[in-house]
Amino acid sequence: MDLTMARKPFDPFKVEAPPTGGMLVPPGPLTVSQVTALIRQAIETSLPPTLHVVGEVSNFKRHGSGHLYFTLKDAHTELSCVMWRSDAARMKFEAADGLAVVATGAVEVFERAGRYQLYVRRLEPRGVGALELAFRQLCERLAREGLFEERHKKPLPVHPRRIAVVTSLTGAAISDILRTLQRRFPAVEVVVVATRVQGPGAAEEIARAIHLVNAHSAALGGVDVMIVGRGGGSLEDLWAFNEEPVARAVHASRIPIISAVGHEMDVTVSDLVADVRAATPTAAAELAVPMLQNLLEDLSQSRSRLSRAIIARASLGAARLDALAQRSALLEPVAFVRRRAQLLDELSGRIGRRVSQRGHAARLRLDRCGPIVRRIAPHAFFARTAIRLRDARHRLERGIGRRTADADKTLARRSQRLDRASPEHRLGLVRQRLLREEEGLARTLRHRLECAVGHVRRQEELLHALSYRRVLARGFSISRLKKNRHLLRSVSQLRDGDRVVTELAEGSFDSYVVPHNQNGLFD
Amino acid sequence: MARKTPTFEEALAQLETIAEQIERGEIGLEESIARYEQGMALVQQCRDILTRAELKIQQLQERADGTPELTPMTPPPESS
Repeated sequence: MDLTMARKPFDPFKVEAPPTGGMLVPPGPLTVSQVTALIRQAIETSLPPTLHVVGEVSNFKRHGSGHLYFTLKDAHTELSCVMWRSDAARMKFEAADGLAVVATGAVEVFERAGRYQLYVRRLEPRGVGALELAFRQLCERLAREGLFEERHKKPLPVHPRRIAVVTSLTGAAISDILRTLQRRFPAVEVVVVATRVQGPGAAEEIARAIHLVNAHSAALGGVDVMIVGRGGGSLEDLWAFNEEPVARAVHASRIPIISAVGHEMDVTVSDLVADVRAATPTAAAELAVPMLQNLLEDLSQSRSRLSRAIIARASLGAARLDALAQRSALLEPVAFVRRRAQLLDELSGRIGRRVSQRGHAARLRLDRCGPIVRRIAPHAFFARTAIRLRDARHRLERGIGRRTADADKTLARRSQRLDRASPEHRLGLVRQRLLREEEGLARTLRHRLECAVGHVRRQEELLHALSYRRVLARGFSISRLKKNRHLLRSVSQLRDGDRVVTELAEGSFDSYVVPHNQNGLFD
Repeated sequence: MARKTPTFEEALAQLETIAEQIERGEIGLEESIARYEQGMALVQQCRDILTRAELKIQQLQERADGTPELTPMTPPPESS
């Protein structure tokens, strides 16, 4: 029998009968080697080349060489197992004593020790999948280190300006994310770092990308939040996000990270370590940015507050203007002027009276002069002076021509002066002066009145510019009670059947108040 | 990156401050109107930022010397 013969493929329906009697056993006593060779031959020819063995791991040892040595046991027996390093490296989970496993391999004889062993090519945990177990094991370890703890979770910014996305350029995730950002908040800047998201080395690439964004965040102008993830796939496809390098990188990131791996049901280690877990890449984008509409509403509220403030401020100015306008001169300019005119009349009357009084006094004085003139005895005076007069006449007649002319002039001058001094004349002068003053006063008043009116008009224009009409132009309306034009501020002002005038930016309309139930206006 | 324009939060905070100043009536009417106009300009500025229509997308790579390199990127075609 050729001990090196090739194994036949195992076929349970063609199991050859044990070659009893066919075995070539040399006669006489056998050496240990011979017996062992016989045993080996027997085992190798009669057992299928691949066995699946269920058992519990014990005496688990990882040798320095990387090979694994352990025993599989059940309630009654034990089976020695070896797993070479190359096979052990493919294992996703850590084998340990007490673990129920399914070992796949072949039984062979280790001749030097005279032992048969199961040479394990694949080891899988029983009940749960290997990946599942590996996931649990990494979770347990990271949880012990506190990586999942709430205190590590950074809050997401409310209004991010720049978002980093770490994912594959060819997957569904990137277009889902970009589409969602475009829809909700296109005001944001997106920095994409392309990585592979599955296969060997993907985890390291993802970890490197997370470090890269952190390292260059400042140079980019500040990255506010990072989305790390990929679209849906099998557990194996998502596996990179269950690997330790990714978990460590996510944990170390100073930038808040939203992890978005696969679909709703998929939870990865990356999800657990991240600051926020999103069910899908689309959901991650939704978490990353606010709804533009909400921001516009915030803005609109700020704007209304500003408008209310300026209108209130302007009303304050208007109230002060009103108070100013309450002063009589501005309130009733005509009455003001009339009062002044009346005062003028009164003054001019007083002056007239004063002038006529003086004229009367002058006449009285003139009357008193009469007796004095008579006492001078004019007849004797005339006789005595008749001769002198005659003498003088000649002289006079000579000089008369000239003197007469002179006298005429003087007379005229004097009479003129007398005229001017007459009460009638002086009264006339006073009247003229009064008239001029009256005109001057009227001019001054008119000017001041015009100034006041101009001021009021400017303030009115200012008020108008800030008035509610501008509020109306933004879509608000003002409602008044039709009957008394009272402004409506509260529903309590309204009675059923009241007619209400509502003023809009353009036009107005009437409406009636109808009874309504307690539930509200829009039911 | 120009950091001159205030962030949305900063702008909102500024608007609050301006409204408060006007509400308290500590500043004159003229000054109030000036602040009001300033506030309205700020509102418009924010609105302009918010209503920017196109997402700005860039791809980040690291050069061999470790410096970052940003290249403009167009969104990949829809993979529905």
